Amino acid sequence: MYKAVVIGGSAGSFQVITKILSSLPKNFPLPVLLCLHRLKHVRSGFVEALSIKSTIPIVEPYDKETIKPGKGYLAPSNYHMYVELNKRIALSTEEPVNHSRPSIDLTFETAAQAYRDKLVGIILSGANRDGAYGLKKLKHAGGLAIVQDPNECQVKTMTEASLKLTTVDHIFTTEQIISFLLKLK
Amino acid sequence: MILSDQEVQFFVNTIKNSSGYDFSEYSEKSLKRRLQKILIDNNSDLLGIINKLKTNKNFLEKTVKDITVNTTELFRDPQIWQTLKYRILPKFSENRNINIWHAGCSTGQEVYSMMILLNELGLFDKAKIFASDLNTDALDAAKKGNYKYRFNIGYLDNFDKVIKENPFNYEEYNDVPYSKYFKIDKVTDSIQMSDFLRQKPIFRQHDLVHGGDLYFAKFDLILCRNVIIYFKYSLQNKVFKLFHEHLYTNGYLVLGMHETMLGEITSRFDKQGQAYRKK
Repeated sequence: MYKAVVIGGSAGSFQVITKILSSLPKNFPLPVLLCLHRLKHVRSGFVEALSIKSTIPIVEPYDKETIKPGKGYLAPSNYHMYVELNKRIALSTEEPVNHSRPSIDLTFETAAQAYRDKLVGIILSGANRDGAYGLKKLKHAGGLAIVQDPNECQVKTMTEASLKLTTVDHIFTTEQIISFLLKLK
Repeated sequence: MILSDQEVQFFVNTIKNSSGYDFSEYSEKSLKRRLQKILIDNNSDLLGIINKLKTNKNFLEKTVKDITVNTTELFRDPQIWQTLKYRILPKFSENRNINIWHAGCSTGQEVYSMMILLNELGLFDKAKIFASDLNTDALDAAKKGNYKYRFNIGYLDNFDKVIKENPFNYEEYNDVPYSKYFKIDKVTDSIQMSDFLRQKPIFRQHDLVHGGDLYFAKFDLILCRNVIIYFKYSLQNKVFKLFHEHLYTNGYLVLGMHETMLGEITSRFDKQGQAYRKK
């Protein structure tokens, strides 16, 4: 019944995200939109690092690329990644939002507008508040909001900010996130 | 502030009817965000903006500038500049002239990057540099060639990667001083491009939406980076056709890192990474 998964993470999320991506079945039925902050000087190599671990293909998409199931789309360094209503990726170099480009808020908000109640949103470990507003928008549009258990997060600022702003559906450990995703059809 | 698609349409139509600017084929998401920002910056609702657009020409010009996005860097995405340095520009070394058009040059960093690279390759004197943008404020900044230092400290890393280092041979190091091309003043927080660079380009205001023959010239190389991401597919195709018409056979079009050509037009180019060679 869900059509897409969107995941946001920052400091402390890399190991979590690689664990999730390495646990998905090869024929995972949904697209996975990834908006992860990275250090400013780490411009390349990130998608390769994720691809090594991931069972589904991970790409830094081109502008206007059509979103397909079973594929991971990583917001490219220094671009905002939006989802257009026609389920295509749109990239932008507009100014950073809350010091972030890519902005998790913007990816979540636009994905929520495109997928409405058919979207699963997951906020992982992170050291700022990006994503909290986006998760609120996602929940408001009828999507399913999941936050990584702050007790498990290396840095809990991002998950706590999300929990403060939104009544989420689940607070999950990494293992619980994985078993939830494995049940998606 | 949530704007509906109809409201964005209303805004676009107002600008279209009051000026020569047409944003109807701009990507929806970014356009909506730009408009939201304009409402917040002016502390106004949409109707207030619309009325002001109709009656105040200066406000209209300013709003048009605010819609455009002007993110750029010196040697942004070094790997593309390495491709230009080692694969593309050497192909033109036997030419009598090299015509280069920066379409959507914004505040000029890309234009200066190109001239620095051409000078290092000994091709500066035979190159003609054309640079255009919709936004006249951005063009004025490009002509000045003055940038903040602290905010843009990454420019120097990019310069080192493209000009000093050779990715194919780590033992090669070409210690070109920054002062050869620009003056860094930490006290006034400025990077000032040298006059010999500033005097070279022919800057013009130009709107890619209208196409047309801007310079009455054909080009060996057209750079248009992080411009077409703001355009819908239909407008992208029009712009690609315009570039195709204005390129010499075997000339190159270089796009941004995450931009690509789609559809029928691709058959008229040979794609090599972010560079498209006209067949």
